[in-house]
Amino acid sequence: MVLADLGRKITTALRSLGNATIINEEVLNEMLKEICKALIEADVNIKLVKSLRENVRSVIDFDEMAGGLNKRRMIQSAVFKELVKLIDPGVKAWQPVKGKNNVIMFVGLQGSGKTTTCTKLAYYYQRKGWKTCLICADTFRAGAFDQLKQNATKARIPFYGSYTEIDPVLIAQEGVDKFRSENFEIIIVDTSGRHKQEDSLFEEMLQVNNAISPDNIIFVMDATIGQACESQARAFKDKVDVGSVIITKLDGHAKGGGALSAVAATSSPVIFIGTGEHTDDFEPFKVQPFVSKLLGMGDIEGLIDK
Amino acid sequence: MFSMFKNLVGSKTLTQEDLAPALEKMRDHLIAKNVAGNIAEKLCSSVGAKLEGKVLGTFGSITNTVKSTLEESCVQILLPKRRIDILRDAMDAKQKGRPFCVTFCGVNGVGKSTNLAKICFWLVENNFRVLIAACDTFRAGAVEQLRTHVRKLNALHPADRHQGQTMVQLYEKGYGKDSAGIAMEAINYARDCRMDIVLIDTAGRMQDNEPLMRALSKLIKVNQPDLVLFVGEALVGNEAVDQLTKFNQALADHSNMTNPRLIDGIILTKFDTIDDKVGAAISMTYTTGQPIVFVGTGQTYTDLRNLNAKAVVSALLK
Ligand SMILES: Nc1nc2c(ncn2[C@@H]2O[C@H](COP(=O)(O)OP(=O)(O)OP(=O)(O)O)[C@@H](O)[C@H]2O)c(=O)[nH]1
Ligand SMILES: Nc1nc2c(ncn2[C@@H]2O[C@H](COP(=O)(O)OP(=O)(O)OP(=O)(O)O)[C@@H](O)[C@H]2O)c(=O)[nH]1
Ligand SMILES: [Mg+2]
Ligand SMILES: [Mg+2]
Repeated sequence: MVLADLGRKITTALRSLGNATIINEEVLNEMLKEICKALIEADVNIKLVKSLRENVRSVIDFDEMAGGLNKRRMIQSAVFKELVKLIDPGVKAWQPVKGKNNVIMFVGLQGSGKTTTCTKLAYYYQRKGWKTCLICADTFRAGAFDQLKQNATKARIPFYGSYTEIDPVLIAQEGVDKFRSENFEIIIVDTSGRHKQEDSLFEEMLQVNNAISPDNIIFVMDATIGQACESQARAFKDKVDVGSVIITKLDGHAKGGGALSAVAATSSPVIFIGTGEHTDDFEPFKVQPFVSKLLGMGDIEGLIDK
Repeated sequence: MFSMFKNLVGSKTLTQEDLAPALEKMRDHLIAKNVAGNIAEKLCSSVGAKLEGKVLGTFGSITNTVKSTLEESCVQILLPKRRIDILRDAMDAKQKGRPFCVTFCGVNGVGKSTNLAKICFWLVENNFRVLIAACDTFRAGAVEQLRTHVRKLNALHPADRHQGQTMVQLYEKGYGKDSAGIAMEAINYARDCRMDIVLIDTAGRMQDNEPLMRALSKLIKVNQPDLVLFVGEALVGNEAVDQLTKFNQALADHSNMTNPRLIDGIILTKFDTIDDKVGAAISMTYTTGQPIVFVGTGQTYTDLRNLNAKAVVSALLK
């Protein structure tokens, strides 16, 4: 996975700490500089990068600290904690309940991959034996219903939508009512792409939300996004109750750091990642194992609990 | 943003060490505006080089120097070295009795098809007849998306307002076919039917996806369009550099030609979604040296602008 690129750079920077004979402020600064550079190049929000640097520095007091090994451990564990903070919002991911209607609404910026990912998620649950369906509540984008219909048909997933109705609130409501009454377990609602600068689009999202009262809202973020992510993600969260994040397009070269910044802005965990255009290019994402793997240093993991 | 240079006021000659902290702050400022990391770095070194060895007595003189240096560098990056005049070139081609062909390419979901439709609207407003070639034969709904646009565009410009001529047509062969072949058929069809312009929509692709990049360079090599436009979104971060470098690289590598067709210009989309984080404009033009031909500022047909370099630079320095 490409996020691992970032991990490799960070591990290398941390290793330099191990190689240094004396650990002083200069060595620490040099290492932090390397780590911050890697994070910035991966598009992590610069404010988060700065606070990471400050937080690590503030824990380390060279005058008070004892010798070699202890310093090393303290620095490494401080860095580790800060990185975990970046990726792990500290809340448990929402889980659907078997045997009940679970309504999931997708939201996000234009072109981030919502429609594609809707089918991926539906297919994922369908294969695990859940009764799954899709609703197209995007009446704006040209060809949106055809797109969802073709994807759903190929994956043999029941779907609902309209070529003539122009009110997304109505379609969402009708679709959810229909599938609820047919006892579908996973009901996924796709919505149009939108951005915070256009109030009417955000208002529409709120209305769809109010009409269907989703059990979970998934914010879909493209791995290539840069510094604009944070304010967009925050605005979505302020308007509706985003509960999870999915990062798409991680099959490319992008490290996904910008999208990771959405985790902090929405206080929501990343639950899946998209790794291609095909329906099964999709992987569950678990924070804790990911961070350990990211940093490739199981030995440090024990340090944070002490 | 210039307060970071306050500490440099004094009577001594500025050294690299004096400058370093302020330049680092400036770099962070540019990165926060979404300029790619290494390009922000380079811009700062150029400012550093201008200041080093100088005695700048007052805060005012430092501010002025930094500001004018940065402004100058950015404007230089943004200003086109070459003007792309689509209307004039399309008219030329028309007089020669052949269609003017434009290919749109870029990574997934950046706005290729939508901005193709906007440009189509602009061309029709200028009285050109346009054929849209549906060469994204992969993504679900791609063909229907274009068909919807063709229907809407013809409704806005009905034939009876254009001497009975249908202004926009779609050339499509459904899904799963070879896109280079469809583009060629479309161009031939346009020539036969005396359509003025062919706009070729292509599938989104990741710059590292070799088979797909190969297919794109084949389409361009075989059809030799008059213009190859790269569509990139203003939201993109450090990836902007990698995308453009590798698209150009792939076009060069897979063409087996001494003078391969490369990217001629850029369409910068979703400019309405980024507030003042305008850095992608700098990253993209810096990387290619090619002009931003259009800026996409929304989801309707009229949301298409020329780049306002001054406005971008002032947003960057704010
Ligand atoms: N390479 C790659 N492409 C992806 C991935 N997920 C989605 N895409 C592509 O990204 C493009 C946009 O995806 P859509 O699903 O249409 O995005 P959307 O968010 O529904 O777009 P709007 O409805 O217009 O806002 C399409 O070309 C998809 O095939 C992924 O994980 N990897
Ligand atoms: N806000 C805004 N949205 C835009 C702009 N340009 C395109 N979009 C939206 O971005 C989304 C994706 O646009 P498409 O034209 O389908 O993108 P594409 O590059 O053709 O996508 P693929 O063919 O799937 O790779 C759609 O929802 C468009 O309405 C723009 O300038 N501003
Ligand atoms: Mg969609
Ligand atoms: Mg397209």
